[in-house]
Amino acid sequence: MKNCDQFRELIEAYALGSLDPEERAALEAHLATGCPDCSKAVEEARWLVSQLAYAAPEAAPSDMLKGRLMQTVRTEAQSQSKPQVMPAKSSIPFWLWAGVAALLVFSVYSAWNTHRLNDEIRQANERAAALRDEHEKTEQELALAKREAMILMDPNSVKIALKSGDAKGPQLEAKWHSEWGVVVMGENIPMPSPHHVLQLWFIPKKAGEMPMPSMMIRPDANGKFVLLVSNPPESMDATKALAISEEPEGGSPWPSNPPRYSGGVS
Amino acid sequence: MFLAAFTSSGPREVSPDATLLSRLLQKDVSAFEQLYDRHSRLVYGLVLRILQQASTSEEVVQDVFLQLWRNADQYDSSRGPFVPWLCTMARNRALDHLRLKSERQRRREDQPDELPSVVVAPEYEKALDEKRRAERVRALMASLTPQQKKAIELAYFEGLSHSEIAATLKEPLGTVKSWIRNGLLRLKEGLRATT
Repeated sequence: MKNCDQFRELIEAYALGSLDPEERAALEAHLATGCPDCSKAVEEARWLVSQLAYAAPEAAPSDMLKGRLMQTVRTEAQSQSKPQVMPAKSSIPFWLWAGVAALLVFSVYSAWNTHRLNDEIRQANERAAALRDEHEKTEQELALAKREAMILMDPNSVKIALKSGDAKGPQLEAKWHSEWGVVVMGENIPMPSPHHVLQLWFIPKKAGEMPMPSMMIRPDANGKFVLLVSNPPESMDATKALAISEEPEGGSPWPSNPPRYSGGVS
Repeated sequence: MFLAAFTSSGPREVSPDATLLSRLLQKDVSAFEQLYDRHSRLVYGLVLRILQQASTSEEVVQDVFLQLWRNADQYDSSRGPFVPWLCTMARNRALDHLRLKSERQRRREDQPDELPSVVVAPEYEKALDEKRRAERVRALMASLTPQQKKAIELAYFEGLSHSEIAATLKEPLGTVKSWIRNGLLRLKEGLRATT
């Protein structure tokens, strides 16, 4: 183990920072024992080494360096000199709070209004769709009515009287246009039995052929009905007569009851 | 506390640095600027001598003075003078910069740096003004043998160890140790004689 004299030889180099690791560790271990003479010697050696700074030629740094430093220092000084005040009530003017509150109320109102408008738009769309359906239905009905009118008004249409099997019963009338179809109309027509409808039949001229089933209808509350058959199952030339019988709801493929009304195609 | 180092020696006058440092504790920007004006040439010259590169040296000097500004209240200033402490910090920073090649390893400006120990002035030390002190140190360095001067400069300005200096100069390790020790002792004696 080295004594103090041996360590003293290392002290200047230690202060200089040039000791190799092993010697530095040994000296520091010795200093850690609290040796007062060596500790004082280290202090003196540090001062001595610090004087070597004067051996370097002085040089002036750029003005920009001082400018940067002073700017940083002034900024930090200002930030430190300002008291760190918590945002007090008085630090925010009343009008700003009022503005924030108004903005909040407006936001809530806007959200509610948007929801309401969306609901109204949805309802309007539903109404528009319903109107569109109704309009289409009306147009279809109008088209049918126009067609019915054309058939009824056209002089080329063939008039067919459908007489009731009951002598006291009403008489129906049909008009058949070779291109536009057949219209069958009636008034004071008795309602069919419950769960039954009136079904139109086309009776072929050819012997042995079965009646051709056609459309079904119920008279309205006043006993009226107008039935349009746009595409008759048989041509007028091949049809011997028209007949209407009472059939179960949904119609029948062939007559299940005797005809209520019938009339020959002339 | 720092002021005591400059006032506890009886006949000595209170140094301008002591007054400025006491104001620096109050975050006096003007005091900081005066300290910078008084010592930036010495500090920058030292750092430039170590790093040999102006822009890097200015970065280091900036770090050193910002440390001074930010941590002035942490200095145990009751035992040691200011300028040796400042130069020790500057040298340590510059040598760190010199040794650490990787930019990642370099200390960032905003990271608190390990502050150097207080440099205690010996009893024989008197408060020479900076100009006279510099002239004296340079004269003493010039009086050393070329080998002593070279070895000390390699250790102080380049941060080399005994073994590294021996390898650089291609001289025996023991010889290098002797050059450094004898050179420093001669410097010490010269400063003691001056005061």
